[in-house]
Amino acid sequence: MGPTTKRRFELLPVYYLLPSLFLVLLINFYPFVSGLLYSLSDGSLIQQGTFVGIVNYLRLFTMPDFIHSLYFSAIFAFFSVIGSYVIGLGLAVLLNKDIPGRGFFRVALLVPWIVPSIVSIISWRWMLGAQEGLVNTFLVWLGFKPILFLANEQWAIFTVCLIKIWRSFPFMMISCLAGLQSIDQSLYESASMDGAGRWQSFVHITLPQLKSITVVCWILMTIWSFNDFDTIWLLTQGGPANATENLIILAYKYTFTKNDVGTGSAMAIVVLIILMTLATLFLRNQNKSQD
Amino acid sequence: MKHKKLRKWMLFTTLLIIVILVNLPIIMVILNSLKPTSEILSSKSLLPKQPSLDNFIYLNSRAKFWMYFKNSIIVALIGTSASIILAAFAGYALSRYRSVFIKLYSNSLLMLQMFPVILVLIPLFIMFRKLDLINTYFAVCILYITANLPFAIWMYKGFFDAIPKDLEEAAWIDGCTKSQSFVRIILPISGPGIAAVAIFSFLFSWNEYLIANVFLRKNELMTIPVGIQMFMQQYATDWGSLSAAATLALLPTFVIFLFVQKYMIHGAVAGSVKG
Repeated sequence: MGPTTKRRFELLPVYYLLPSLFLVLLINFYPFVSGLLYSLSDGSLIQQGTFVGIVNYLRLFTMPDFIHSLYFSAIFAFFSVIGSYVIGLGLAVLLNKDIPGRGFFRVALLVPWIVPSIVSIISWRWMLGAQEGLVNTFLVWLGFKPILFLANEQWAIFTVCLIKIWRSFPFMMISCLAGLQSIDQSLYESASMDGAGRWQSFVHITLPQLKSITVVCWILMTIWSFNDFDTIWLLTQGGPANATENLIILAYKYTFTKNDVGTGSAMAIVVLIILMTLATLFLRNQNKSQD
Repeated sequence: MKHKKLRKWMLFTTLLIIVILVNLPIIMVILNSLKPTSEILSSKSLLPKQPSLDNFIYLNSRAKFWMYFKNSIIVALIGTSASIILAAFAGYALSRYRSVFIKLYSNSLLMLQMFPVILVLIPLFIMFRKLDLINTYFAVCILYITANLPFAIWMYKGFFDAIPKDLEEAAWIDGCTKSQSFVRIILPISGPGIAAVAIFSFLFSWNEYLIANVFLRKNELMTIPVGIQMFMQQYATDWGSLSAAATLALLPTFVIFLFVQKYMIHGAVAGSVKG
């Protein structure tokens, strides 16, 4: 290769990246590093604490409310991912068929995803709250007893998961739909010539073809549900009796109401560690099965 | 043939029922905004007996709501316009150039998606408190801009990747500099891409609750989600006004969404699947 074909170092991309890089460093990277340091000290919102090492982390695992929120975060994420994926994939399969008004359906089913959390939560609180709510009126009409969806601990856990699924399935739906539309139709034709039924082609063609999109969606959804604040906070504020406190709500409470920045930051770091581990596992699993 | 047609319409009906059930909470909030609170609490009927705009008139008499509305618009517009400009340049660099630095940058953007907001919120709260920036639009806007960046940059990269390089090369031969070809040729033809990024940024900022709740504690600065939440705590049983406020909060979302849903679906898919 002659010297003329050698690539010159270009400054233009650097200029183009600088402004956003500056913001990311200032608003994400710097706080991340100082958050890490806060988690190793015993400060408050007003006073800088002293360095205490990993004491905050060790103490976390002796705190019943932390253990509970770890457990609840896992349940919440698990059911949100599975629930929204099953519903999203099911609807994507329906929407992929040739039906009248498909464009309308596709848009109408995205609504739960794009409305402000406060709006949907107000409505859900009215529909599920207390005896006079819509759902309880319906249950009584059917001859059941009214259910305390938000006041009973078990039911509150069920309800926040349900509403998270409701808010998340549209994302799964459009992602799966995009995946379905990119599957080569000739695969199905040759399968049906070989005598494969509809269910068989779904299991042996559709699901494997959707695998890479599925993994990306699962990772994103896991991240979003672990990091969820709005759904739970606006619905129950973590109650009744801490039943629906996830790690983020707990970190928020420790920091902003108990003024314990060290513990709050340590909890946030734990969430990050969990998410990075899960994402690595998902991706490794995907790469392995592709080899 | 007839059998096939019947199946089609059965699917249509099934989907219609699903759509109504799924959107029931949103439909109900809009219907409830037209009923007095006593009717919302007692009536077994879903439809309002006598639709009235009383709740909206009451809300209008409380000037605060429009203040929240104005604050939300300001914050969302600043957050959106700044992030679509900054992200365009970064997305272009990511799309057209290769280097170790760029690779590192794009990977760390993906990592940022994983960060719990609360993790950066705690140190930023402490930092902004020292700088006296709590209760300013600035605090919220700069966070919204940054929060929008990773997704916006990746979406732009997807759109720019799809534009052939020949276009720019032709412009360079005609004497355009590299930055001119980007601003004068690439940007104008990526209109749909910019629209998609803008919609996402706007919706994010309009809907966002946690950041606004932490940084905007003065009543006259609150955005709609925080304002309505305050209202909900004070008048928990005034479902009529709450529904009216919620309905108004939906308006911009629906307007934008109906205008440009095509770009949005495309953009969401490009961002999520390619990312």
